[in-house]
Amino acid sequence: MATNNSKTLARMMVTPAVILLLIWMLIPLGMTIYFSFLDYNLFGDGENKFIGLLNYEFFLTDPAFVDSFFNTLILMTGVLFITLVGGTGLAILLDQAIYGRNIVRIMVLAPFFVMPTVSALVWKNMFMNPVNGIFAYISTTFGFEPIDFFTHIPLTSIIIIVSWQWLPFASLILLTAIQSLDREQLEAAELDGAGKFCRFRFMVLPHLSRAMTAVVLIETIFLLSIFAEIFVTTQGGPGNASTNITYLIYTQSLLEYDVGMGSAGGLIAVVLANIVAVFLMRMIGKNIEG
Amino acid sequence: MSNNKSNKSKMLYTFFAWLISLAIFFPILWTILTSFKTETEAIASPPSLFLFDWTLENYNKVMQQSPYFKHFWNSVVISVGSSLLGLLIAIPAAWSMAFIPTKRTKNLLMWMLSTKMLPPVGVLIPIYLLFRDLGILDTLGGIVVIMTLINLPIMTWMLYTYFKEIPGEILEAARMDGASVGQEILYVLAPIALPGIASTLLLNVILAWNEAFWTLILTTVNAAPLTAFIASYSSPEGLFYAKLSAASTLAIAPILILGWFSQKQLVRGLSFGAVK
Amino acid sequence: MGSITLKQVTKSFDDNHVIRPLDLEIEEGEFVVFVGPSGCGKSTLLRIIAGLEDVTSGEISIDGADATHMPPGKRGLAMVFQSYALYPHMTVRNNIAFPLKRAKLEKNIIEQKVNQISNVLNLTDYLDRLPGQLSGGQRQRVAIGRAIVREPSAFLFDEPLSNLDASLRVNMRLEISQLHKDLKTTMIYVTHDQVEAMTMADKIVVLNAGKIEQIGSPLDLYDNPINKFVAGFIGSPKMNFITMTMDTNPEVDSIGVRPEHFNISDTEGTWKGTVGVAECLGSETYLYVQIPDIGQLTIRTDGNCPFKYGDTIFLSVDSENVYYFAKNGTCIPLD
Repeated sequence: MATNNSKTLARMMVTPAVILLLIWMLIPLGMTIYFSFLDYNLFGDGENKFIGLLNYEFFLTDPAFVDSFFNTLILMTGVLFITLVGGTGLAILLDQAIYGRNIVRIMVLAPFFVMPTVSALVWKNMFMNPVNGIFAYISTTFGFEPIDFFTHIPLTSIIIIVSWQWLPFASLILLTAIQSLDREQLEAAELDGAGKFCRFRFMVLPHLSRAMTAVVLIETIFLLSIFAEIFVTTQGGPGNASTNITYLIYTQSLLEYDVGMGSAGGLIAVVLANIVAVFLMRMIGKNIEG
Repeated sequence: MSNNKSNKSKMLYTFFAWLISLAIFFPILWTILTSFKTETEAIASPPSLFLFDWTLENYNKVMQQSPYFKHFWNSVVISVGSSLLGLLIAIPAAWSMAFIPTKRTKNLLMWMLSTKMLPPVGVLIPIYLLFRDLGILDTLGGIVVIMTLINLPIMTWMLYTYFKEIPGEILEAARMDGASVGQEILYVLAPIALPGIASTLLLNVILAWNEAFWTLILTTVNAAPLTAFIASYSSPEGLFYAKLSAASTLAIAPILILGWFSQKQLVRGLSFGAVK
Repeated sequence: MGSITLKQVTKSFDDNHVIRPLDLEIEEGEFVVFVGPSGCGKSTLLRIIAGLEDVTSGEISIDGADATHMPPGKRGLAMVFQSYALYPHMTVRNNIAFPLKRAKLEKNIIEQKVNQISNVLNLTDYLDRLPGQLSGGQRQRVAIGRAIVREPSAFLFDEPLSNLDASLRVNMRLEISQLHKDLKTTMIYVTHDQVEAMTMADKIVVLNAGKIEQIGSPLDLYDNPINKFVAGFIGSPKMNFITMTMDTNPEVDSIGVRPEHFNISDTEGTWKGTVGVAECLGSETYLYVQIPDIGQLTIRTDGNCPFKYGDTIFLSVDSENVYYFAKNGTCIPLD
């Protein structure tokens, strides 16, 4: 829809972004692939022998890998589930005529602005601490034994923290979507005798599907590589109970200095993420027409 | 009758909305309150909500212990710098894809977004080694480059969805009126898309401000932003609640205030154009 | 100034041939209207002349100079877009001044020209408003103002009235015609509305599926359509087509009769039918008559028409008002 001149220009304008992203993707990724075939320890003898697929074999057969794989999945789906369901509920509530809506909105949005390290620290120490935490105080007040969150339910605790961070995002996106719903359509349905549930199920929910897709897509990008929350709370423990793939690779490469193994793990993470990505891209490709 | 009824339901909804939003906001509120308590009051049982001796002691201590303003400044440089740099690259790219699309444009966009799905750990080691060999570990320049690259796909995508909403005829009119492409972008596109560009900038400032993977790994002292500053409180310092709270409040306050002022633009920007 | 020549111009997007090889001569000062159904390529043709699209092959020259690869801003043409395409963030004054600023004119000259134009177009009171604060008709005038201020060698209009309501459209139609009389500049006007084409044009170019069906003055096209497509497209309501064969000329496949050319009788005629809907407009009446074996015919007659729904009616037509068409659509002149 344009002249050759402007097409050439357009190509020139998009080139810097493409080249930068290509470099960003290909060079480190290429190096990762290369390292993954080496016996490469940062404090090793420097020989860095080629050892074929041995790193992959070690990484994949490591019980920690299986644990961290499932932990990653549980963490992702858990947070997605909580934020989507909670977010929808909250969005519907905030859509009602209420007093002080602006203040309510500001309060709900606030956790999104809190950096992960801060929220993890605050939750860990001031809320989930088994001795001095607020939850412990509430439990003892009602005569219960306080829960030792990070010892007994480490992954759940992290899910709670991360959900708290992402709930505002989901609610506000969904709220905006609800507000764009055609009111006349809803009124017509009400006149046609559709009940509240019916209207929600067959009109509101389908209308929200686009927004939900956006929520799932964006959250997944960030949830797949949760790091700081684990780094400052459980350090992946106890055992591997709260280690996700990102954290596992971090420990292997930067704590145990095993670059080869870390690289193999990194590539496996890339492959897994790509599987999720392909799935998601199909979804948005359908939902967001370009 | 019906007025009375709707009034009642309004009260009921208001009650629940406030209850839930207060619960969501509570951790932040509690942190801010605790930052003004003494350490003993901070762990007092039962905890007191407002009735305590307000003190600024903790802020003093936190500032003495580590150079808050240096970290704050690093955070500003990293987040604003990378966002501006990103805009510089993303605006032409988004202009090109939105107004002169080819058959490959959609795939290109998808590919760009997919680089965002690349788990950082996948490239952690090479980046770390490259940074080490180039001698840019723990430098602001290095981390700004990484942040720019990380957020470039999101910026391009967001701008693209904003630009898509601007009728191409307006830009064609400018072309007919004798504007060059630079003038077309500068005098026509940018002013019209200003709200979109602003919200893209804001969102990316927030994302970069809060980014806590690369900043934790690639910085130690000189270039450490607030994420690293606060991570040093992970243990056992974290047990000093009042000090931890003061540090936390200092770390989140700037972005919290910025975010509250710009929430409208943010929400639109965040949804990638999926929600109008 | 303002003659435009297209030589063997084609345009295709991939395998989709939007414009087939096409020659066109637009003379200085002419008001030319491109008309045709949607998708016929008329807007693409205009955009090619504007320089917003490349030609796939062929040549364009403006005032005798080759303009095939000239960028749009250099062609000395001004365009009024369907959506007006005003710059929403600029005041009316700055909208009109924009092309002058791009041409790097001096400040006081720009101001003088803007004031002069806004006087002509009755925009003086609105100069400091934003386009969003104007009505549809005012926006249209600003778009025209932005076009004339450059004193282009030709104006291009891309369906400029389609976003206005009916009464405003008639007004703007007159204003544009008046403008042409005043400026005497070449105007090329794209529309799908044949009424606009008939009322405004010196020369109508009827396009269909990327090629020119016929070029001529409005009355020429009305009286002597070259084929069935032009006959059906020009004239409102549409010409009636009746499929029939003739013994005297085996080529004839169908005949056409304009709604205004029927003779009506309640006793005798060529066709007998029943009046369906009768639309009484006061000044004239449209009758939709069902004829067995032929179908529905549209008849235009005077305001005080006695026929109403369900009446039996006889229709006939004088032979000089009948058009004869061959199977491939061409009009066959019969003597």
